[in-house]
Amino acid sequence: MTSSSGRGWRNEARDDPSLSEILYVLKSRRLLVVGVGLTLAGIALLFGLLREPVYVAEARVSVVPQGKLEGEEARLAFLEEVRGNVVTQKMLGEVRRRAGWEDGPQAFSERLDPETFAGRNGSSGLRVRFSGEEPGQAARAANAYAEVFVTGVDDLGDRLLADGVPVAEASVEQRAVPGGYSPRPLIYAVVAAGAGLLLGGAAAFVLEGRASGWRDVRDAELTLRVPVLGTIPDYSLKRFEG
Amino acid sequence: MSLGALSDAGARELLDPASPVRHHYEELADNLLGVEETGIVVVTSPDSGAGRTSICLGLGAAVAGMGRRAAIVDCNLENSQLHRMLGEPNFVGLTSALGDSKTLEHHGYEVVPGLLVVPTGPILSDPASILENEGILKAVRYLRKSRDLVLLDAPVAGGVLRSPNLLGGFDGVLLVVHASRTPKDAAREAADALLAAGVNLLGVVLNGCS
Repeated sequence: MTSSSGRGWRNEARDDPSLSEILYVLKSRRLLVVGVGLTLAGIALLFGLLREPVYVAEARVSVVPQGKLEGEEARLAFLEEVRGNVVTQKMLGEVRRRAGWEDGPQAFSERLDPETFAGRNGSSGLRVRFSGEEPGQAARAANAYAEVFVTGVDDLGDRLLADGVPVAEASVEQRAVPGGYSPRPLIYAVVAAGAGLLLGGAAAFVLEGRASGWRDVRDAELTLRVPVLGTIPDYSLKRFEG
Repeated sequence: MSLGALSDAGARELLDPASPVRHHYEELADNLLGVEETGIVVVTSPDSGAGRTSICLGLGAAVAGMGRRAAIVDCNLENSQLHRMLGEPNFVGLTSALGDSKTLEHHGYEVVPGLLVVPTGPILSDPASILENEGILKAVRYLRKSRDLVLLDAPVAGGVLRSPNLLGGFDGVLLVVHASRTPKDAAREAADALLAAGVNLLGVVLNGCS
């Protein structure tokens, strides 16, 4: 198969590969691209399955300042200061005790993910996530943190915090419930597959640049961006075809 | 000259109308002759070994076989192959025409009816300076008057780029790449350099496909 044009070839910038060139390279080396993607996905899936399952539970604590704070940034700064005053090693020890945690403070801290929030509707507070090996354990730990945090805020009393604003009220807005299974193996596999496809694609382009053989007319046209007027078979082989 | 007298089996294959590769050359000839103003075509390649001389012979024979008149002039003065491939001496040719008042028709010979072959002839001085002789332009253009297609079996692309006559003196350039011998980056560089030099790059021939 050849392509012909009615005119001589016009010069064309070739700084970036065209979409058709990219698609052609990926298609011609699809085994490599898909293979790398599947291999990485498989490894990630295996890794995720061999690891212990993870259950995530979330509790929400509402914290309302007594005075008015303008803007989300001011409210977030206020919440961080509240957290800084409330969360201590002693407080965390109490949380672990209530949650029935036995594996040590470091492992507990690695699974704990408290995050302040300030919504546009004026709501503000703390979102507490805990990743546990069992659903009940995750919920217990998240709730224990939320409850001890509320107690800690109450203990602050009328102490002035950011901008001289005292804390008015803190309460557990939403208790954590057992059951939130985080399908980590699948997430790992999907992310790894995506990364694998990108990696395989990059490898395909590297190999394509170093290749010395030409596959077909399309290959030549995309590489040179010049029309192929003819293809001539190796007649030393053709001679013996009969 | 009869095909049977040819010493090179490859050349015989290229000139034989019954050859299994003939229809590939006919397709190439159709496509090339379909490009506007392609009376005189410089045939080059990114590097040596791509099969420029074979392409010239096969293409010229196909054009002649289609009832038109073609000519091949060997301009590869540093490494002339055309006469060797045909098993002919190189006593007269292109350089002879530059030294006397006779035409290229006179210094060439027909290998098949309608296909004139002009070897380089004896090379007594610097090949690069011979290529820059304005007499070459005149001689080839004069030859074109009696031929539908004149193919110049030129040096590799680097040599063409160093020769103003080959770069801009004729109608266009045909780039030959070999499917297994020509590295892609070399071909890309050659095509880029030719285009950057303002050459009318007519197209590519992919030679040696499996």
